[in-house]
Amino acid sequence: MTILSKTIIPNVICTFCGSTCDDLQVTVEDEKVLSVRSGCSSSLSKYLNYNADRYLSPLVRKDGELRDATYDDAVCRSAEILANAKYPLLYGWSSTSNEASRAGIELAEWVGGVIDNTTTVCHGPTLLGVHDIGEVSASLGEIMHRADLVVYWGSNPVHSHPHHIMRYTSMSTGRFRLSKKNRTMVVVDVRRTDTAKLADQFIQITPNGDYELMCALRMAIRGDELEQDVISGVPAEKIEELAELMVSCQFGVIFFGLGLTMTQGRHRNVDVALSLVRDLNARTKFLIMPMRGHFNVAGANEVSAWVTGFPYAVDLSQGYPRYNPGDTTAVDVLVRGDCDAALVVASDPVASFPIEVSRHLAKIPVITIDPHPSATTPISEVVFPTTVVGIETGGCIYRMDGVAIMTRPVVSPPPGLHSDVEILRDILAHVKKLKAGQQA
Amino acid sequence: MNELLILNGYVYDPLNGIEGERADISIRDGKVVESVGTGAKIIDASGMIVMPGGVDIHSHIAGSKVNAGRILRPEDHEKDVERHTAITRAGTGHSIPSTFTTGYRYAKLGYTTVFEPATPLLKARHTHEELDDTPIVDKGCFPLFGNDWRTMEYLRQGQLEECAAYVAWMLRATKGYAIKIVNPGGVEAWGWGRYLVGLEDRVPNFDITPREIVRGLCKVNKMLHLPHTIHVHTNDLAKIGNYQTTIDTMDSVRDLSSDSKPVIHITHVQFTGRTGSAWHSVGSGAPEIADYVNKHGHVTADMGQVVFMNTTTMTADGGFQYMLYQLSGNKWMNFDVEVETGAGIVPYRYRRNNYVNAVQWGIGLELALLIKDPWRVYMTTDHPNGGDFTKYPKIICWLMSRKAREKSLARINSIARNKLDLPDIDREYSFSEIAVVTRAGTANALGLKEKGHLGVGADADVAVYNINPTKIDPSRDYRLVRRALKKAAFTIKDGRTVVKNGEIVETPIGRTYWVDSAVSEDLNAKVESQMRKTFAQYYTVQMDNYAMADSELANSNRIKVKAEV
Amino acid sequence: MREIILTIKRELCLPVEAGEISPDKLAGKTVKEIESTKIWEGNKQLALDDIFKVSEKPNGTDEPTIRVIGNASKIRKIGYRTSSGSVIVEGNAGMYVGEEMSGGSILVTGDAGSWLGTKMKGGRIEVKGKAGDYAGAGYRGTTLGMKGGTIIIHDDAGNEVGCWMTNGTIRIKGNTGLFPGIHMSNGTVLVEGSCEGRAGAQMRGGKVIISGYIPAILPSFAFEEIQEKAKCGEEKIAGPFYAFSGDMNENGKGKLSVRVTANPQLKWYEKYLEA
Repeated sequence: MTILSKTIIPNVICTFCGSTCDDLQVTVEDEKVLSVRSGCSSSLSKYLNYNADRYLSPLVRKDGELRDATYDDAVCRSAEILANAKYPLLYGWSSTSNEASRAGIELAEWVGGVIDNTTTVCHGPTLLGVHDIGEVSASLGEIMHRADLVVYWGSNPVHSHPHHIMRYTSMSTGRFRLSKKNRTMVVVDVRRTDTAKLADQFIQITPNGDYELMCALRMAIRGDELEQDVISGVPAEKIEELAELMVSCQFGVIFFGLGLTMTQGRHRNVDVALSLVRDLNARTKFLIMPMRGHFNVAGANEVSAWVTGFPYAVDLSQGYPRYNPGDTTAVDVLVRGDCDAALVVASDPVASFPIEVSRHLAKIPVITIDPHPSATTPISEVVFPTTVVGIETGGCIYRMDGVAIMTRPVVSPPPGLHSDVEILRDILAHVKKLKAGQQA
Repeated sequence: MNELLILNGYVYDPLNGIEGERADISIRDGKVVESVGTGAKIIDASGMIVMPGGVDIHSHIAGSKVNAGRILRPEDHEKDVERHTAITRAGTGHSIPSTFTTGYRYAKLGYTTVFEPATPLLKARHTHEELDDTPIVDKGCFPLFGNDWRTMEYLRQGQLEECAAYVAWMLRATKGYAIKIVNPGGVEAWGWGRYLVGLEDRVPNFDITPREIVRGLCKVNKMLHLPHTIHVHTNDLAKIGNYQTTIDTMDSVRDLSSDSKPVIHITHVQFTGRTGSAWHSVGSGAPEIADYVNKHGHVTADMGQVVFMNTTTMTADGGFQYMLYQLSGNKWMNFDVEVETGAGIVPYRYRRNNYVNAVQWGIGLELALLIKDPWRVYMTTDHPNGGDFTKYPKIICWLMSRKAREKSLARINSIARNKLDLPDIDREYSFSEIAVVTRAGTANALGLKEKGHLGVGADADVAVYNINPTKIDPSRDYRLVRRALKKAAFTIKDGRTVVKNGEIVETPIGRTYWVDSAVSEDLNAKVESQMRKTFAQYYTVQMDNYAMADSELANSNRIKVKAEV
Repeated sequence: MREIILTIKRELCLPVEAGEISPDKLAGKTVKEIESTKIWEGNKQLALDDIFKVSEKPNGTDEPTIRVIGNASKIRKIGYRTSSGSVIVEGNAGMYVGEEMSGGSILVTGDAGSWLGTKMKGGRIEVKGKAGDYAGAGYRGTTLGMKGGTIIIHDDAGNEVGCWMTNGTIRIKGNTGLFPGIHMSNGTVLVEGSCEGRAGAQMRGGKVIISGYIPAILPSFAFEEIQEKAKCGEEKIAGPFYAFSGDMNENGKGKLSVRVTANPQLKWYEKYLEA
């Protein structure tokens, strides 16, 4: 498909954040993106800059330096590294398609490694909370149509998910909630964020005080008296007011972000939040939803769960899926220096993980598959440039609420570039040959 | 040429009137044929039972709520694992197996076709991604319409033809096979945390009753000439005594049947087959339901049998699942789907000495034993709600052997035992009847003309079980039956041997069946333009991004029918 | 009976899983059989003697002993499913020490990794050094954690000690992190040092005793009284302790005891005492 004259492509699916807005209008000409309408500033930035700063050829390290190599050489070298590894780590997956994740898990099985996605540094704690409590949730349209109380807790969508409020919550138009007037928005955060400035009520909480505040809210909802005057910086009366607001709404929802998952308590903050919402359902309809960041981290979890039974951090080294975050999670594997090779797909661990991790990554052979150079590229043994999912290649992705959407390309990729699915399948084919040879 | 000859087995092909005679099955290029040449591969089935491959009409194996269940329960998978081999993928069980494991385990039981029975329209793409990762078996899914806004609005307005065109569009868009209805109207009420009671209660904001929804969709089903009837999970699952609702639902469409042909399938009847008004005195409504089914040919049903185990309940009936959470105190997932439906998941352990569980166990078996016509009642557990599908051989033994039932009856809660009629039921299913309730009957109900039998032209999906029906008495030797059915001696899929002695030897990708019911172009255009408006108002995704392309299925198998409209 | 001595003979870089190192598994084997017993290193299975030098000597008791010598911090599941006999690790041990143990004893002279005594049903584990997180916890998603047995940690323990505990005793002589006794329904967690906070979170029953400093008590715990002593099994620990009950959000009947003298910041609870 080659688009030469100026065309406006409607209903393009944005591949930036977990909101997965699918109403972008992308104007292309001569295989170039000229402009984007209906997207937020983050999506605009992605569409206009995706083609800057790219590798166009695979690279393989020879004599200490990354040099241009043929695709086949890169595939062979990668397969050798992975087939010979005794505990490889396959990481990333959240910024690419489900098809890539599916290929990745098969590869992890064949090489007997650990496969983990960026959930591990983001909403991993959410999943751990869900294992213990469950989750009362819905698709985003349910909130759009019904919610009269929207709470953003430890989340700042104005910056992280710019169209979230407009498309799905307080400023959206629903069948039963025609405008902002029919809804109340509350923000709970450690400082007055830009989202808090839009809220009807802002509750400032002391950092790391989320667990206690949730605990107190649960008490207030039960009608139990709070013995303390102030909890996590919030006066008891205010907590009781918020509890009253929650039980007396018709349909409430808490959206939460890294403010819960990455502050002291982590998955137990989520645990108690899930418990709070579950308790609220005895009084009214109430939901909770994690604000998933990367555009397909939900997809990476879903694929991992249906193929292996577990949503991330899956250890396949003994030939069957094993799961225990804290042990089989990528950061832990790397911090302990357990892995002897790594495959990184659509992610940048050197930039996002603790420094001890980078040190270990620098010691082991790393294969990077990414459209763009990253902080991980310079320490890699093999680098594959790939097409950009959602712009040059299609593929299935999942919105933050698990709705599956099929992305389509709007322009052709630079010639000679392969998609990550192709690369993974080619590496796998080669690994199978090597493994058959090893058995013989 | 791909020729296979299954030699000398005891063939059970009830659709074609073959009930245990020794016969050869000839296969060429994936189909059953009259005969094959001398170069054919031979499978010696001497002393063994040969049946069509199993056809499961209702099993939750793929999709968003199944996967939510997997995510909810790492502890369910931890101890039940499948290793990676050169031909099979790694995976996990136990009550919610991972997708590859699901395909392999079904094939080992001699099953070759499975239907995922509850797919939200908005999430059909997810279901199909999972089905594409479910190897060997042919499959399909039933999209959910019973709480869908457009459906309710069309029916409320009496716009049956538009509703039919809309349903046809949705089946094409979701690659769906049949109209599924779960707690009609009740799940929309649950969208507000509310419940409906009975069939005449009006759905808030939609002013339509469950009865009207069921009748309307039944008419639509007929207009579209869909191969299966409407597939219904009735209202009042959360109500203690709910058998009457089941009968009322069956009766609500009686007049829509011409010459007593089935127009409604009620699924997992056990769950809505209870009498009583308090849990401690709940009883079996199976005799009443069976009586109705026996007298009325327009109904088919499946059991939804309970097995005593730690399993996971999951249905689109979100309100019911909340109630189960309240009763059990177990963890609880809920997932409402905008505009359309809901879902809920709660782990649950059925215990022998729990009065209610024991009664539930009895209800399922009573239903299958009291409904006389095996062509209209099918064996399921509503996997995993009543138990997981690897327990099917156990259930088959209960159906075939009074002794097996007595052994289990002796161990269940004694008050429940005294309450049930089951101890006094003599009936024992024959192998032929088992073949009906696990394959011939289900294929027939689904309208799959090439499945469930071994006549010329049938798909060469065959199960060979290592048990000699002339040498054993299933009533007495039910343990041998169970052992044989747990591990097929051979499972053949489209003429290829996929299981040998209970082990997977090949892993082809099965077909995904879906229905394309062609309505008139004018009507389709009219409804599509109506849909553009409602899509824009109702959904958070664009209409143009909603429908699935054929190419999204790994092995798409379109069944074309012509609608009446 | 004999003592089987496993001396680590090389550096370990990859994770090693050696659930075979338990009296139940090895007591009946000859040295040669032990040497060829298969364990995992990364994704490869290898013979035990690839990593350990195996020797034996009589131990003068009627129970078998296994002694592991060397830095075993990369070795997981030592003492897996031990039902009798004893295991001694002279050095550090990795994760999952004593998983599913039901009897016998395990001693680690150095530190132990996370998930010490996970899914334990009985027996005794003692760690002279530190323990990681999740000591005595169950598996992800299960509501049935430790069912019995005793765990003693001489130095510090991490977070979530006794998570989902249903019985048994965990005693930490050092300090502990957050959430000791979280979701527990029975059993006792005793912390002789300080606790980072959120003790007894979401507990339904059982006991948590904090002898040292804890910054605050969760709002869902009701102050009951000042107790003179707190009981840990048969042992009576001299107080006085502030006694709380909770977690009220779970309709919990658990008891949380916190030493008065170590926690002056909790003195304000005393206003709830009857005058």
